[in-house]
Amino acid sequence: MPTKRKKEKPKFWQKGKLDIGFLILVLVLLLVGLIMLYSASYAYSYTYYQNSYRFISRQAGFALVGVVFMLIASRIDYHVYKKLALPIYVGTAALLVFLLIMPPMVSGMDVKRWFVIGPINFQPSEFGKFSIIVLFSAWISSNPGKIKKFRYIAWLLGLLAVMCLLVVLEPHLSATLLIFAIGIILMIVGGLPMKWLGVGAGIGIGGGALAILSGAVGYGSDRIKYWLDPWADPKGLGYQTIQSLLAIGSGGLLGRGIGQSRQKYLWVPEPHNDFIFAIVCEELGIIGAIAIILLFCALIWRGFTIAMRAKDQFGTLLAVGLTFQVGLQALLNILVVTNTIPNTGISLPFFSYGGTALIILLTEMGIILSVSRASSIEKV
Amino acid sequence: MATKANKKMLKSILLIMLAFVILFVSVTGYRLTTIMLINGEKYQSLASEQQLYDTLITAPRGNILDSKMNILATSDTAYTIYIIPNSINNLQDENKKTLIKTTIAKGISEILEIDFETALGYTEKKTSYVTVKKRVDKSVADKIRQFTADNKDLGIARYIGIDETTKRYYPNDSLASVVLGFVGDDNQGLAGIESYYDAQLTGVTGRVVAAKNALGADMPFSYQVVEEAKQGNSLVLTIDSYLQHIAEKYLEQAVEANRAGDRGACVIMDVNTGAIRAMATKGDFNPNSPFTLSEADQALLDAEGSTYTKNELLNKQWRNKTVSDTYEPGSVFKIVTGAMALEEDLATLDSSYNCAWSIVIAGQVYHCHKKGGHGTQTLKEAMVHSCNPAFITIGQLVGTSKFSKYFEAFGLTKKTGIDLPGESISVYHSEKNMGPTELASSSFGQTFNITPIQLITAVSAAVNGGNLVKPYVVSQVLDYNNNVIKSTQTIVKRQVISEETSKKIRTMMQAVIEDGGAKNAYVAGFKTGAKTGTSEKVAQNNASGEVKYIASTVGIAPVDDPELAVLVMIDEPNGGSYYGGAVAAPVVSEILTEALPYLGYEPQYTDKELAQYALNIPSVINDDIATAKNKIVAAGLKTRVIGNGEKVLRQLPLGGQSLAKGGTVILYTEEGATEEPNVTVPNFIGATVSEANNIASAAGLNIEFTGNISSNGYITAYKQSIDPETQVPTGTIVTVYFRDTSAANVAD
Repeated sequence: MPTKRKKEKPKFWQKGKLDIGFLILVLVLLLVGLIMLYSASYAYSYTYYQNSYRFISRQAGFALVGVVFMLIASRIDYHVYKKLALPIYVGTAALLVFLLIMPPMVSGMDVKRWFVIGPINFQPSEFGKFSIIVLFSAWISSNPGKIKKFRYIAWLLGLLAVMCLLVVLEPHLSATLLIFAIGIILMIVGGLPMKWLGVGAGIGIGGGALAILSGAVGYGSDRIKYWLDPWADPKGLGYQTIQSLLAIGSGGLLGRGIGQSRQKYLWVPEPHNDFIFAIVCEELGIIGAIAIILLFCALIWRGFTIAMRAKDQFGTLLAVGLTFQVGLQALLNILVVTNTIPNTGISLPFFSYGGTALIILLTEMGIILSVSRASSIEKV
Repeated sequence: MATKANKKMLKSILLIMLAFVILFVSVTGYRLTTIMLINGEKYQSLASEQQLYDTLITAPRGNILDSKMNILATSDTAYTIYIIPNSINNLQDENKKTLIKTTIAKGISEILEIDFETALGYTEKKTSYVTVKKRVDKSVADKIRQFTADNKDLGIARYIGIDETTKRYYPNDSLASVVLGFVGDDNQGLAGIESYYDAQLTGVTGRVVAAKNALGADMPFSYQVVEEAKQGNSLVLTIDSYLQHIAEKYLEQAVEANRAGDRGACVIMDVNTGAIRAMATKGDFNPNSPFTLSEADQALLDAEGSTYTKNELLNKQWRNKTVSDTYEPGSVFKIVTGAMALEEDLATLDSSYNCAWSIVIAGQVYHCHKKGGHGTQTLKEAMVHSCNPAFITIGQLVGTSKFSKYFEAFGLTKKTGIDLPGESISVYHSEKNMGPTELASSSFGQTFNITPIQLITAVSAAVNGGNLVKPYVVSQVLDYNNNVIKSTQTIVKRQVISEETSKKIRTMMQAVIEDGGAKNAYVAGFKTGAKTGTSEKVAQNNASGEVKYIASTVGIAPVDDPELAVLVMIDEPNGGSYYGGAVAAPVVSEILTEALPYLGYEPQYTDKELAQYALNIPSVINDDIATAKNKIVAAGLKTRVIGNGEKVLRQLPLGGQSLAKGGTVILYTEEGATEEPNVTVPNFIGATVSEANNIASAAGLNIEFTGNISSNGYITAYKQSIDPETQVPTGTIVTVYFRDTSAANVAD
């Protein structure tokens, strides 16, 4: 018993070797992301802050903190989160409810997705994703085989639905989709029978439609309309999409060269945020864009490999969930930027400006590395 | 309990990973290929459309210089004012939009002197560039800058722009205007040299392609491509501003004095090279404001019942009569007919011809201007008399074949090819269509039309040893560093007559001045030659029933080895006489009297001339009184001493000037000595030489004679250098111009 207890008790300082391939991929993406952020934000930063370095200097600082957080997280035994799974979920839900009750915390925005404490502002939906990943990983790994039972599935879906509902009410459609997709993927990996998968898919499509309809009052329907034809309102709601397409299209095969984007001169609104990939395309061309996409794919491959080698199912599910989150977010961002799907407001991991989001992202990458460390000890 | 992932789980992870990566790469790859490669060009051009803007850099237009490198036409910096209506229309706040529009409209309408409604209309346009006014000067551009600064709170500077361009400037106003021409709003040459050499002068317009940001502003680190403007080449003309000025001054006076119905023209050409030294039409225009009519033309347009249109009058004032008008040269052409007969050995200077007042050719009767005829006369005398029957006889002797051959050889059937736009073609009887009567009238210069430039070129050939040269106006093309990149060489088209024949022509032309109709072309101190002509404007005569004339004279100087040919034509003189000898010949004299000394020819006065009116005044300043008196008396002049000093401090007239015999030089000997009171200039017009002398001394003035005062005809003053009633110091020289006004001596 003491040995068993000792084995189950999470160690705070974990030994073992982290997956060097994953770490390198993270650092490469982070570096490329910072360079492109510098280029994309240059003109915007100069125009509005009379300082071309404002965005890059802040983001670089956050990146440094994030890398430290990542390395610390890689040393922390990830089983800590298993214990905290439920409190994290409840805390996140409470925060989202609080946001819904309060007036918008960022002035000038009629959405309530931002939480502000002093200099820190973040979107609690980021925690929404994390909480679902941790909760589902914990529950599924702790209850092997139960996933085939309807009652258990209903519980999971219920918890997922509550989180999705809170996020979609902010409203934050893209985060809702992400959370939902992550939940479903974790259930599938956890052994969800195929018949339920069909039902799940049905619910997913229905829920998605509902989400769009719920926003039909003013938020969602226009997005659909100007997604289909951004030129219907080139100076208004179609503007951002059009400017993004013009930037991407200007890239051609090899791009204008790094730093040479013209669309970043305020044509693309906030080129350092969600639409940074358009500037990447303009400067680096399709060759550069595909290279970055392949970097993300390599990260997914490495992340999933860590998941498959994890020493326990919790680690597997945690790594799958976190890796999938990054991959799906990157995919959805590129689909939005290329106007393949309607604009939902989703940032590109490692590239888009946003300090808290970057720190959270890198910390999550640290958790994946922690899973890799644990598995390396197992082998020894 | 820690359980590792089972096989099923690993399998699903692997599947999910594969499916996701394939989906990721294929969907994004497909979309990016579509946007970036397939539709890339479309998006790129749309992007360029919004990002880039072209600014044209006007290449400074080349200068036009005279033969002494004085500037005749140059370019100054000017400014184009434009507004950017799109940037205003893109504003969200309607009130602010309206405020900005009205502010701008008010500001620019006041500064640029346009009306408010028009200005407001510009701000409403759905475009990003509206030119408000071109070619404004710096002071106006500064006012616009001040206006934008004053309205900084509205951000007006974002909506109004100033582009730097150039504006053509002609420092001498109307001088040589018909030769220079003028430019349009975009500095494009529209007439004259400006038009003919537009490509040389223009240069290559440069461009700045710059990127702007979405706010319409340049970014300090933005993309920019500059294609440098290439400055236009400059042109050096053969025109000499001084000669041009003289030609224009005297031509204008003659056009006014003779109330010419259709202006007048004058051209001075270097007979040996074809270089045009001066070319004038009066009334012409000011190329700085080419679309403004002269006062006289404006009066014509404004006159009640005026049948003129503004365009018609503008075209007239821009017209270079020398190259664009054709006329029947009349008796001046006898030079050419004479040359043919001499060259073909059909006549010598002493061949004799009989004039019995009339001559009948193929049933057509021609009369001589002299009732009763000239009787028997030599060829030289016939030229002096300008006897039509004699030249009809000579023409018949030459025959249609040879006449036509020489007519062509003298360049009268083709354009001269002078480097000016709008050269007219001549109209003449071809050999095939020339019968005896056509030959007869052609022999004395009627029934065919040629341009003045053709005539002076033909006359130049007749007197320069027989070479038909191509006239030209531009001698050199310079690049922007003033390196010569092209020089015009004299083109001798052919030798038409021999030097020997040419010499005979010169002898006859000199005789015409000494004894014939061109007495008024006489230039004191110089040997010159001339021939006058008075031609009926047949076409106009038929239309109105009233007979209109063109009075012309061509002069050559110096007659022994001519350098210059001067042609003066007055179109439709209405000032009494219409004869070339009375109207045009004095102008030739006036021009050559100033031109020859300017060109460095020393006057060689005959004793008679010296005795009469061309005494050189010695300079006696600083001489003591006695010496001064002696010098002046020795020169044939009188003195008057003012003051009690011992030395001459000042003299009037100054040394070096010429004065008629008996004139008085006033010697001032004391600083601040009471000056002689001013006197009033009397009117000399109509006075004979001796009367003028008396008038001058009675008034306390000195007199200088110009023109022909040595002939035996009826000589009277027709012009004076200082207007009557003007107050001038005692002793001032008044130049008085004389001409022979006896009809017998000017008819031709």
